Amino acid sequence: MTLLAQAPVPRDVGVFEWLFDPASWTGSDGILVSLADTVILCSVVVVVATVTMVPLASWLAHTRRGEVSVSWMVTLSRAIPTFAVAGLLVPISLRIGWGFEPWPILIALLLLALPPIFLNTYTAIQQVDPGAVDAARAMGYSETSVLVRVELALATAVILAGVRVAAVTVVATEPIRAFLGGDGLGRYVRDGLGQNNDGLLIAGAILVAGLAGLTALVFRLIEGFALPEGVRRLATTATR
Amino acid sequence: MNAVFAQAPNPIVRWEYFIDEWDQIQSALLEHLELTVYAVGLGLIASAGLSAIALRYRWALAPINGFTAFLYTIPSVALFGILVPYFGLSRLTAVLPLAAYTLLILVTNIVAGFNAVSPEVREAADSMGMTPTRKVLQVELPLAMPYIIAGLRVAVVSTVGIVTVAAIIGQGGLGRLILDGLRRAFWTPMTIGAVLSILLALALDGLILGVGRWLTPWAQRARRAP
Repeated sequence: MTLLAQAPVPRDVGVFEWLFDPASWTGSDGILVSLADTVILCSVVVVVATVTMVPLASWLAHTRRGEVSVSWMVTLSRAIPTFAVAGLLVPISLRIGWGFEPWPILIALLLLALPPIFLNTYTAIQQVDPGAVDAARAMGYSETSVLVRVELALATAVILAGVRVAAVTVVATEPIRAFLGGDGLGRYVRDGLGQNNDGLLIAGAILVAGLAGLTALVFRLIEGFALPEGVRRLATTATR
Repeated sequence: MNAVFAQAPNPIVRWEYFIDEWDQIQSALLEHLELTVYAVGLGLIASAGLSAIALRYRWALAPINGFTAFLYTIPSVALFGILVPYFGLSRLTAVLPLAAYTLLILVTNIVAGFNAVSPEVREAADSMGMTPTRKVLQVELPLAMPYIIAGLRVAVVSTVGIVTVAAIIGQGGLGRLILDGLRRAFWTPMTIGAVLSILLALALDGLILGVGRWLTPWAQRARRAP
């Protein structure tokens, strides 16, 4: 029923004609709105995953708890079928009264984002040179300081890599939302398929893939800048 | 829509569906299995070739890794979508991206497996007068098998998960039940599709684990030894 109300897209638009037409970008179902939709949802997922998993994993690794669960989690993180999980959550969400959007896809994407951040934080802190930790303790650092100023600082690069993997995976998976009753950047692929419009379909695929590539690039840049000064000096002397 | 819900109770699972629509469930499950087998089979053949090149010519390893990692980062919705204009809503359009996603893990593990064979074992095989082909098939491949099996498990499990996404191009086995259920706002097929695809992943994972143990009995003996 909503299909009829949608803005009529001309059949078989040219891919770049459509992409470079300002009219495609503006308006209530323009690319900018869809892009913002996707970016906001993905940001919420990655931020929530980071602020929950980094403290939890670093505390577990610092106190050397939960050693066995890691290898099991590696397998699990690869096995999560996001499409199925989101599909399963839709009826449950409706039953509770949370509606079609955005809870099912949000929770499904969150499940996807948690493992890489948890695993990278946990292993990175576990592998911090015990000598450095002992030195900090001998200098009278409190346990909190050891964790924050030594272990977390030395683990920063690996933790950020985990956040990057999570972010790229989330951005790459979010487009399935368009097929589960939502919108976001995946809607052009959906509409292109639904309207038999190859131009729109390919343009939509380019947008989706482009955003995933851009996310990877942005996080690589952040990784370059966010490394603590001392750790960066350490890294450069090590590579020399 | 709310009025419809009020009239007809729409439970998360309606058990009669299993009996009434058993043919549908069965064909979806079979299609899911077929897509997974085709994709991982194709991925395994391509990975074997790529790994052979990477092991033979060391300089080729980095570009091959870069290429497979690049393929892996392309969103599945984009990859399925971009192939539709060329191959239509066909099984090929579903299998090609699925196979492409398996390359990263399979090539990584095959190369790691063959690199883990110790030089002494290779020398022993050489001094026994084995031909290069026999050395690869009878010495190096069996020793690399645990790595290959580990890679295969991850590849199969993640493929079963991504197959559901292929429902957007009219394929997708159990994913089709999920989409059909969504379109009709009928939750039973959605729940069945989602749960069965998770169970299928676990079952295939266990199957490959078992086959791997059967293929490498010495690895089990080594594990049991104190």
